[in-house]
Amino acid sequence: MNNFSQQQQKIRSAASRLLADGTVRFVIGWAPTRFAERTTVLFAHTEAEAQALVWNAHCTAALGKYLLDHRLADYAVGIVARGCESRMINRLLTDHQIWRERVYILGAPCPGMDAERCAGCRERAPVVWDELLWDADGMPETGGRQDAAPTNLDEATIADVGAGLALPAVGAACSRPLDTDTSLRSRFFRAEAVEGLSAAEKFSYWDEVYAKCIRCYACRQACPVCSCRACYVDMDRQGFQGKQHSAADNRVFGVTRAFHVADRCVECGECERVCPMGLPILGQTQKLIKEIEALTGEAYVQGMDAEEENFLGAFDLDDKDDFL
Amino acid sequence: MMYLLKENFDKAREALAGAYAVVVPDEVLPPKDALFPRSETLYETDRRTGEARAAGAGGKTLLFGVRPCDARAIGNLDAAFLESGYVDANYAQRRENATIVALACAQIPSPACFCDSMGGSPHEAPEADVVLTEAADGSGYALDFQSEKGSAVAEIWKAADLIGPMPAHLEKAPAPTCTLKVNKVPDLAQKLTAAFEDGLWERLAEACLGCGCCTYVCPTCYCFDIGLENRGGTADTFRCWDSCMFPGYTQMAGGHNPRWSKTQRLRNRYLHKLAYFDERYGRTLCVGCGRCICRCPQGLDITRAVEWGERL
Amino acid sequence: MDVANRTNTAAGGEPKILAFCCNWCTYTGADLAGLNRMKYPANVRVVRVPCSGRVNPQFILRAFARGADGVVVCGCHPGDCHYATGNFFTRRRFMLMRGLLEFNGIDPRRFHARWISGSEAAKFRDFVSEVCAIVKGLGHE
Repeated sequence: MNNFSQQQQKIRSAASRLLADGTVRFVIGWAPTRFAERTTVLFAHTEAEAQALVWNAHCTAALGKYLLDHRLADYAVGIVARGCESRMINRLLTDHQIWRERVYILGAPCPGMDAERCAGCRERAPVVWDELLWDADGMPETGGRQDAAPTNLDEATIADVGAGLALPAVGAACSRPLDTDTSLRSRFFRAEAVEGLSAAEKFSYWDEVYAKCIRCYACRQACPVCSCRACYVDMDRQGFQGKQHSAADNRVFGVTRAFHVADRCVECGECERVCPMGLPILGQTQKLIKEIEALTGEAYVQGMDAEEENFLGAFDLDDKDDFL
Repeated sequence: MMYLLKENFDKAREALAGAYAVVVPDEVLPPKDALFPRSETLYETDRRTGEARAAGAGGKTLLFGVRPCDARAIGNLDAAFLESGYVDANYAQRRENATIVALACAQIPSPACFCDSMGGSPHEAPEADVVLTEAADGSGYALDFQSEKGSAVAEIWKAADLIGPMPAHLEKAPAPTCTLKVNKVPDLAQKLTAAFEDGLWERLAEACLGCGCCTYVCPTCYCFDIGLENRGGTADTFRCWDSCMFPGYTQMAGGHNPRWSKTQRLRNRYLHKLAYFDERYGRTLCVGCGRCICRCPQGLDITRAVEWGERL
Repeated sequence: MDVANRTNTAAGGEPKILAFCCNWCTYTGADLAGLNRMKYPANVRVVRVPCSGRVNPQFILRAFARGADGVVVCGCHPGDCHYATGNFFTRRRFMLMRGLLEFNGIDPRRFHARWISGSEAAKFRDFVSEVCAIVKGLGHE
């Protein structure tokens, strides 16, 4: 049993209210595309546009990163936030990227979406919000989509957004082939898949992965941790990173990116969802989180509140250094 | 009209492996990768002697199973690399060495396909050397050899006894039509250019992440960057794909960036696909393959800009 | 990895080992080794860094990608850092780094870190000789 349509109504009316009373300049949510099984991201600026917001199992994109586009804004931004978005927001707050008072968070406990990244989800309910749209009671707390939630094709028309670009529905799916198994996975499932391999196998596994990488940097762009105003890979004349698309250079990029985000990763899985080549890059980050847990002997989960200490940004006099 | 039985399809591909390096296009990346690689060394310089040596651009290749929209895209790349007044040596060499065997779409490959709205057709590939079109009964392919390079392929297939005359009772299957219909007005280029300052660009770009995915999966994006790689004794000058969606693309030496916002970058990309190229070469750059729509992680859709033309 | 134009163990050449040494301790220690005419393998190329905390994991990845057979990071003993706490951060970083290298199929025996003070010339010599022997044994990948 899913309550998508009732919940969608709650999102729409809350967004309309915020826009009507001027609390926010726009509300970030999802809108349909021409394709039944895909949604896009919509910045609803008017009450009419708020009525075009949708909530269904295909709302797979995490919205948190968009706040960064408005980090210098003197206005407030509304955002629909599930567990993953709320942890992204905490991440940005911890990193002093956004002002809490300029974000109005519409908490939306997630029933689990139709994306592979949701299959490892450990936190469906938002951990920070200004307004909780509905109770998480009775919902599973973890994992991806559990039931076949239909998408109402009649709604797959964006009515009057922007300058009135109505999109007629096409109907059929236009999405990446995904692993249809959405049952809850182990938290480090990607890392565990590689760990058992021999050194040579690991090397060729990642070589194969990075040979396919096209360096579109979608992983970086989607990541809430990648909040640097100038990324080292964009400084190609400084010699940090070769711009050429060779497996070796792609690999340096991939591993470096993983290390840069290692101790701050909120495990939203967006990096993997956005990858157009479908590369299993989450493994690198999962491995690092696993290593941190092994070193400290404690659970290491980021994005649960806005006052966290990052593993690599701190130290302990008694830290292990058994190989030094 | 020559004819290839379906059961000989794989054999036909294998028969070409002796004469050509056969490339079967990737399902995600467009075949432009074979003519304009992601990354290629242009020349190597000996750092002690200062001697430079052109790296060359490989031997004979054959692109097997190119979609008609992608073949048309190669025609657009030709316009930019060969016909614009400057001939790009590496591209020219690869293009000269490449034989294109197109496979007309028997079914529409993706719901995001809109080639017939952009002036193309799922069945026509005049840029290709050979076109395989499925017969109406699905038993095989009608073959159109459209150039000398195509005839060379025909000779190989004839020698291997893989093809024969098309039986008289057979005919080509009718071309399928794209499910996605986009109304492209004839003066789209002028209309969009005139709307340069319109606020809608910002709305179109709001959901854009700013990654380079759309440009890298696009069969007609041909922007590149040139860099130098120091390898100790030698230095390689390489060329690699670049994307107008990256801020660094327009970054100038003094730090000024004329296209500093995401909106400006998206507008530039859409206008290049739908207007600028048209103004310069008289053909629309976007061929309607639908890859950028399918692969955009956030579901952005270039056809929204095409249809905007109706309202301008 | 894609590496051109170099000598390596597979080609019968000598391995290349890159050593990042902190300016205040290990670099001085290496200097002292030289002053005392201690012998250590010439395979080691020293890069002077202000603090071992300056060594970005990326430097190590890039060194491997560009053909280094081994990488060494050396700094002051914990508590002795010229910048008070720099090497405490280094310590955490490279404990993590080692696991990641192993995960990527790069033998962790190619990557070493050690605390060597300005007076420990002999320790520097012994350490780099040891690393050199290990890396030579591993050959070139």
